[in-house]
Amino acid sequence: MKRRSLLCLAGAAAVNLAMSATGRTEPSECEVPPELSAISAKLPHLAERLAARQPVNIVAIGGASTKGAAAGAADLAYPHRLQMALAGYYPDVPIAVVNKGVPRQSTQQMVERFPTDVIAEDPILVVWEAGISDAVRGIEIDDFAAALQAGIDELKNRAIDILLVDMQFSRRTSMVINFEQYLKAVHRVGDLNEVYVFPRFEMMRYWSEQNMFNFDDVAEDERVRLAAKVYECVGRKLAQAIRTAVR
Amino acid sequence: MALPEPSTPRDLRLDFFRGVSLILIFIDHIPENILSYFTLQAVTFFDAAEVFIFISGFTAALVYGRRLASKGALYATAQVLRRAWQLYVAHIFLFVLFIAEVSYTATAFKNPMYNEEMRVADFLNEPHIAVIKALLLEFQPTFLDILPLYILMLVVFPVILLGLRRHWLWVLVPSATLYLAVQIFDISVPAYPEGHVWYFNPLAWQFLFVAGAVLGSRSQDESVAALLKLAYPVAAVVFVAALAVKVSWTIHGVWETFPGLFLKELWPVNKNNLSPLRLVPFFALVALVATLVPRRARFLDSAAARPLVLCGQQSLEIFCLSILLSALGHFILSEYDSTIVVQLVVNTAGILAMLLTAALIDWYKAMDRMPNVQPGARRQGDKVAR
Repeated sequence: MKRRSLLCLAGAAAVNLAMSATGRTEPSECEVPPELSAISAKLPHLAERLAARQPVNIVAIGGASTKGAAAGAADLAYPHRLQMALAGYYPDVPIAVVNKGVPRQSTQQMVERFPTDVIAEDPILVVWEAGISDAVRGIEIDDFAAALQAGIDELKNRAIDILLVDMQFSRRTSMVINFEQYLKAVHRVGDLNEVYVFPRFEMMRYWSEQNMFNFDDVAEDERVRLAAKVYECVGRKLAQAIRTAVR
Repeated sequence: MALPEPSTPRDLRLDFFRGVSLILIFIDHIPENILSYFTLQAVTFFDAAEVFIFISGFTAALVYGRRLASKGALYATAQVLRRAWQLYVAHIFLFVLFIAEVSYTATAFKNPMYNEEMRVADFLNEPHIAVIKALLLEFQPTFLDILPLYILMLVVFPVILLGLRRHWLWVLVPSATLYLAVQIFDISVPAYPEGHVWYFNPLAWQFLFVAGAVLGSRSQDESVAALLKLAYPVAAVVFVAALAVKVSWTIHGVWETFPGLFLKELWPVNKNNLSPLRLVPFFALVALVATLVPRRARFLDSAAARPLVLCGQQSLEIFCLSILLSALGHFILSEYDSTIVVQLVVNTAGILAMLLTAALIDWYKAMDRMPNVQPGARRQGDKVAR
């Protein structure tokens, strides 16, 4: 843990330097240690579209944290933040990220709305945020893994790239909901299918350890602002991961 | 059935391994605990839960079989039900503590990013239903799911006991059939809130308890020992093969370039329904231990093994304590600091608390059994207690 924070301090310092050098306005508070940004998977179909400068449709399907109501407005949810960040990276490609977040749905229920909410949008990439509701509802790990697998198979058969997003982290929730098995499962499914799993849980844990977002001793409206901030960071980090994966 | 003589000395292997399983359950119940890389679940397809349930069945057959033989069916039944009642009360006690923890967390929790996902706290909206569901054992929060299974097993145990008296096949065949039916038809037992199931599916896990009871009731039987000896080489091969596969998965989980053997084919291994992939290597281990660790193995009497033996002997109290301690440990790690040093301190403190409590209860029970004696005769009384 000590070493990780040291690494990160160095990382943050480097980013600050880079920022002042290029004049970019990326807040260093979204930074994570380098091992959380490592990505080896590829997004070949998306890469092709981007290279050809053809319009790109991305569907973000998931639960409450995809819908993003906690931040107060749809534009403040991470899918929209992702779209903005990608537009910055690829200014000459029209990119749309459609938000299909529906709170309190199990992974199986998400797979069931693939035909209307995902396939109908003709996406080239699906960002699939799954696992929170399954953990909360105590769905059997096998069923959770099988639902993920079914969704991945369907998208792969249609030549659609996939990127999984794991759970949100917060110190207090972990006392009440046992995420561990579900986290392991989502990463294992990703590993078996060579699908990148965006480590949102570890990133948010890191931000929490660094005390970047403190929800505990602040006023109500400040908490909403903080939630928007976290979603912004998640959207940015996702965009970075996608940019690395299509290189 | 061959009932063990009342004078048979206690099989310390049961106490020892049950004590070990209780320690492992404590470690595994602290999420993201570094020590959990060194427990059974990291190297075998099964975990300490199998050990605990199997030995519980084995011991139940030994203890209540003896009561049945000496004092009759009615008395044995009453004894079993009294034990089930004790477990039930302990479970409800743990449940109340859990509710206190969750309602506190849910109320003090101020992160809007979780408002919609915090379904767990939903039962706070309908406490009248939640409490009844808890009393009916249908509401089983995380880590409070193994006692309901044990309670249910004891409630039906008088029937198992009477069946064993007739012939062990009367018990084993229906039990195995039910287990197979669960595997084939994927039957589960619904729980509360809606959509939940019994985490330890009693229709599947009963087989492990019953298998333990059958072996326990025939522990004096020479033919069982001979059969175990015969099965020994096969068991060794099965166990080592399963071990190699699971260890490769664990290493693969930490270090991705290391291949996970048969990962695609075998993962995930179902725990709710006690997948045969968990059960078969576990039975192999039972055969190995039964053959390799003799009943009178010297280490069981050693001072080093003594604390674990005591833990296993006071299993109900120590089990409940371990649930509390792991929740407390998790709280400390998530609220303050989770560096490896702190993790090791939390683990050590928890295990020491369990061992010391077991020793204390053992001492207290010995004092309790000791007849009240005159001050002059005290010395002799001390000796009796030891």
